[in-house]
Amino acid sequence: MAETDRDGMAAYNYSRFDDYVAAEGDVADEAAFWTSPRAAQRAPDFTLPRLGDGADVRLSDLWRFKPLVMEFGSFT
Amino acid sequence: MFIYTREAHPGENVPSHDSFEDKLASATLLRDETGIRRDILVDDLDGTVHRAYGLMPNMTWVIAGGGRVAYKANWTSAANVEAFLARFLAARGEHPPGTTPVMYETQQAEFRYPDRKRFAQHLLRNGPRAVAEFEKARQLWAQRAAT
Repeated sequence: MAETDRDGMAAYNYSRFDDYVAAEGDVADEAAFWTSPRAAQRAPDFTLPRLGDGADVRLSDLWRFKPLVMEFGSFT
Repeated sequence: MFIYTREAHPGENVPSHDSFEDKLASATLLRDETGIRRDILVDDLDGTVHRAYGLMPNMTWVIAGGGRVAYKANWTSAANVEAFLARFLAARGEHPPGTTPVMYETQQAEFRYPDRKRFAQHLLRNGPRAVAEFEKARQLWAQRAAT
């Protein structure tokens, strides 16, 4: 793994929220939301493992015929 | 469907993820403690899906059948999502004879009412450090707002 990739991953998985805010990570995240795909545009497709059975789930298989509600989150 | 991301407020008990195995373990803990019954998909360690959809800690997206974005909110309100879905599906299904529905885009501000007590409990669950760091972040936000 390249050094920059490791740095990028550490920045994504920050360990201290106050440092993240001090570095304006939260401001960048808000900006990323507004530059992400807009309504009526095609949604980015990915395959992720499902918790429990570890099955690969392709997002486009879930939204092929009916709407898909996707909530993102963690403990807090 | 729920997509587990990085920990927004890591602490002593639920730290930031150093490996995908850490991330899976935290996602499992979250499912078991909060009783989420929806399918949970776990994003990769680098947050590839989270990045593609905009990095907010608790956002909700609705993707219409076929794959176009129908709704995106930088914060989650179940009531707002439900109201939107009901309206969206009704409008698509019940259009006047001889017409074809055409999508257009709106952007609206909404209000939410954070449950401070519940949030404080979740911060403490992650660890006392998460509580202290959030308090520092609040001071930083206040300074930012004042300048």
